[in-house]
Amino acid sequence: MKRIETEAIVIGGGATGSGTLRDLTLRGVRAVLVEKSDIASGTTGRNHGLLHSGARYAVNDLESARECIRENKILKKIARHCIEDTGGLFVTLPEDDPSYHGKLIEHCKYAGIRCEEISVQEALRVEPNLNPEILAALRVPDGTIDPFRLTSANVLDAQERGASVFTHTEVEGVLREGDRAAGVRCRDRRTGEEFEIYGEIIVNASGVWGQHLCASAGIELRMFPSKGSMVIIDYRINNVVVNRCRVPSDGDIIVPSDTVSLIGTTSKKVDYDRIDETTVDEDEIATLLESAEKLIPNVSRTRVLRAYCGVRPLIAVSGEMDGREISRGIVLIDHEKRDAVGGLITIAGGKLMTYRLMAEMATDLACAKLKVGKKCRTHRTALPGSERRADQARSVKFFTGIPNSVVGSTLYRHGHRIRNILHREKRNYGLICECEMVTEGEIEYALKKLNVKDIVDLRRRTRIGMGPCQGQLCAYRAAGLFVKYDSATSDESNKMLVDFLEERWKGIKPVLWGDALREIEFCYWIYQGLFGLGDVRFTEEGEER
Amino acid sequence: MGGGLSGLTCGIRLQEKGARCAVISTGMSALHFSSGSIDLFGYNGHGRTVYRPFEYLDEFAGSNPRHPYAFCGARQVREALFYFRDQLEMEDIELYNNEESNHFHVTTLGTLKPTFFSQRSVFNEKVRLAFEKRSKIAALNFEGYRDFYPELAVINLRRNVLFRNIEIISGKIVYPDYGDPQRNPFEYRSVDIARIFDTERYLEDLAGQIRNAAGDAAFAAMPAFLGITNFKRHHQLLQQLTGLLIYEIPTLPPSILGMRIDNALKSRFAALGGVYIAGDTVTGGNLAGDMLESIVTENGGGSALEAGSFVLATGSFFSGGLVSEFSRVREPVFGLMVHSHAERSKWHAPEFFPRQGHPFLEYGVETDENLNPLTDDGRRIKNLYCTGALLPHYNPIKEGSGGGVAVSTGYRAAELILSGNS
Repeated sequence: MKRIETEAIVIGGGATGSGTLRDLTLRGVRAVLVEKSDIASGTTGRNHGLLHSGARYAVNDLESARECIRENKILKKIARHCIEDTGGLFVTLPEDDPSYHGKLIEHCKYAGIRCEEISVQEALRVEPNLNPEILAALRVPDGTIDPFRLTSANVLDAQERGASVFTHTEVEGVLREGDRAAGVRCRDRRTGEEFEIYGEIIVNASGVWGQHLCASAGIELRMFPSKGSMVIIDYRINNVVVNRCRVPSDGDIIVPSDTVSLIGTTSKKVDYDRIDETTVDEDEIATLLESAEKLIPNVSRTRVLRAYCGVRPLIAVSGEMDGREISRGIVLIDHEKRDAVGGLITIAGGKLMTYRLMAEMATDLACAKLKVGKKCRTHRTALPGSERRADQARSVKFFTGIPNSVVGSTLYRHGHRIRNILHREKRNYGLICECEMVTEGEIEYALKKLNVKDIVDLRRRTRIGMGPCQGQLCAYRAAGLFVKYDSATSDESNKMLVDFLEERWKGIKPVLWGDALREIEFCYWIYQGLFGLGDVRFTEEGEER
Repeated sequence: MGGGLSGLTCGIRLQEKGARCAVISTGMSALHFSSGSIDLFGYNGHGRTVYRPFEYLDEFAGSNPRHPYAFCGARQVREALFYFRDQLEMEDIELYNNEESNHFHVTTLGTLKPTFFSQRSVFNEKVRLAFEKRSKIAALNFEGYRDFYPELAVINLRRNVLFRNIEIISGKIVYPDYGDPQRNPFEYRSVDIARIFDTERYLEDLAGQIRNAAGDAAFAAMPAFLGITNFKRHHQLLQQLTGLLIYEIPTLPPSILGMRIDNALKSRFAALGGVYIAGDTVTGGNLAGDMLESIVTENGGGSALEAGSFVLATGSFFSGGLVSEFSRVREPVFGLMVHSHAERSKWHAPEFFPRQGHPFLEYGVETDENLNPLTDDGRRIKNLYCTGALLPHYNPIKEGSGGGVAVSTGYRAAELILSGNS
């Protein structure tokens, strides 16, 4: 069996794991990351991409609010290309308790969040689609953050500094040597190959999946998974983040995101053994749409693109297992202290907003154990792509001859790395995904540099297939490019085309009415009616005659 | 109402028999996204290939009385299909059939689809003979054409027992230098390329390239992008110049093979004196008792269009013939009674590629065997006929029956009107 030796092993390729990998690498620690699926494919990629100012937590959880605003300011510097500094509003509807408005102003002050009262007229100027019936409005420094880009940029930076990354690789168990965890046994889920990685320290950043992992090391860790569902609508109907000014509840937030808007969220407890099979329920969709319509009436006339859900990783801190000790904050566990198992750390809880802080905390502890004295630099070292402010006018001039829309989209997604992607050869900037303006050059870059193993991964790196048509034409084109750039065999490409369409289908199914149904009829017509993709047998001699 | 395969077949039949007909069409029909072959019945209820569709139809109709084919009966289906073939022939499109049997056409992914009629570049006697002789095939593509990747097709063809002992190679040809510097040739769609080859200017150059790339193959299989308007002549010329059989594979939309049929049908309808109103949509009508007296359109400025009989051939959801809402399916023009499931979760199968097909494809306007629909309040409209993809109780993709149902129900509506049914 193949054996890999390193200093630190990070389990989980979400924002926290990727951030930890980067932090370790920046401090000169040799590190390996193992992720069972794709980076940012779990909880990280399944939220509404809100760059919280902290205002949403200010009244109920001051500590979280303070963490949010601190990280908010840091991320706006180090992850510029993953962020849109849109600003956000908290609006009070006629049916809402008007006293919450004043409470929020007061608590924002305690938390250090700039919170400015504006007139209803001004709010409607900032956000013309808002419900004109609102009674009051506050402006806060909310923004949007793209979790896929953020995570990928962390991984890219770590890899460029020497870290190794294994995606689509499952950790089957922790390898114990006496009273310490010495390594992990892994299996490549695509090839079936098994191998072992040994390291001096293991950081468990696998979020809600950590319960299972810890169990394999003989440690009890209880997660309390809670499902949050979201709906994506097919137009960007708001300019700024719109929050409802009330005690946090379902369907309170509408976040603009690239070309679409997201409505979030719900909160439902789920059983731990069902975390990999959660689906969006019909009543959640109705709730989200009804609530969002109150904030922005246009929602009811806008096509719903898809619905998805994520699992929040709430964790029990002490040995008590009755649920009272569940924390919504960051939890860092030194299993040497808690369970007498050396070499293992768990970092869990928290939020996408605090991923960097969590990574810093985990890395501090790991470095203490490794006796590495270097300090954290992630709060002042820009991620790849964010080294300089993205200047659209300058980029458009630099790439004269390439359509501005292509330059703009590429810059938006990859920031300063645009120079590694675009060049003035027509093939390079030929469009593959027309909805999201993804070029062949961007796909080539993603295939070669960004740990892309299939079309679903490619979607997370580039937005291919995320637009109105949900991959009708570009899915096939992408499958062809995998073969062209030697990233897959023909058979693998055909198979990943099936997987990609099935993955898109999961999110469309719950909202299958109106134009979504029209679009899916067309898509099914192409891939089954025209192509017969469902008839492809991936074994020899499949056809009977 | 509806200028697709079904509406135009109906219109042509009506005009030819002396009834005056106007076709109102919103825009491009589903032919632009079709394979360009006409499927009759490709698969039975177990998903197995049907080889002799008319024989199958005879027994099938008896046990499926609400299927559109059952309304027509096997005899009328046959009559309709061969009528359709004759009409296209007058417009220089030859449709070939394998006598009473289905034949297969090759898809973009190298799977095989059973079908009944194909254009000569997809199926003909020579293709059949060359195939039976196990002749070598070259799958060719324009370098940089983003809508076709021969490698993805070749792997599936090679694995198919039908292609055992047939050598398949793939090769590249390059675009002619016809230089519109404003355009990026790596963004051409099938239709952009087809327009280049609507002139003869590049045929010789293309033939040379095909010969080189194909080596000693007998077939040159290419995505269908070689010309729309003069295709018959150009196809023959290209075969002469190369000495090869030039075989077409339907591509990602737009479908050149389908557009050729669309053009031919419109041209035939116009030649017979039919009135084709493009870019307008019927929004409603005036019902008096069990008769539809007139209809109004979006661009009609409120004036009513009167006729003795009306045909609704507005297609399925995709074409706008059916509309789905949060919790119901409706027919948007007249509010006709629709067959569907009440619960939205039952509209679809759990997987995207289900063995049993998706239920929503079998939704549509309920009619009697004369294709007359019911209004929502239960009135049967005697001079309104529903045809094509608007009809329920058949699954065009699972059965491989979309083209055949469109043609035969369109034809049936014409026959009913001509016989004075309404």
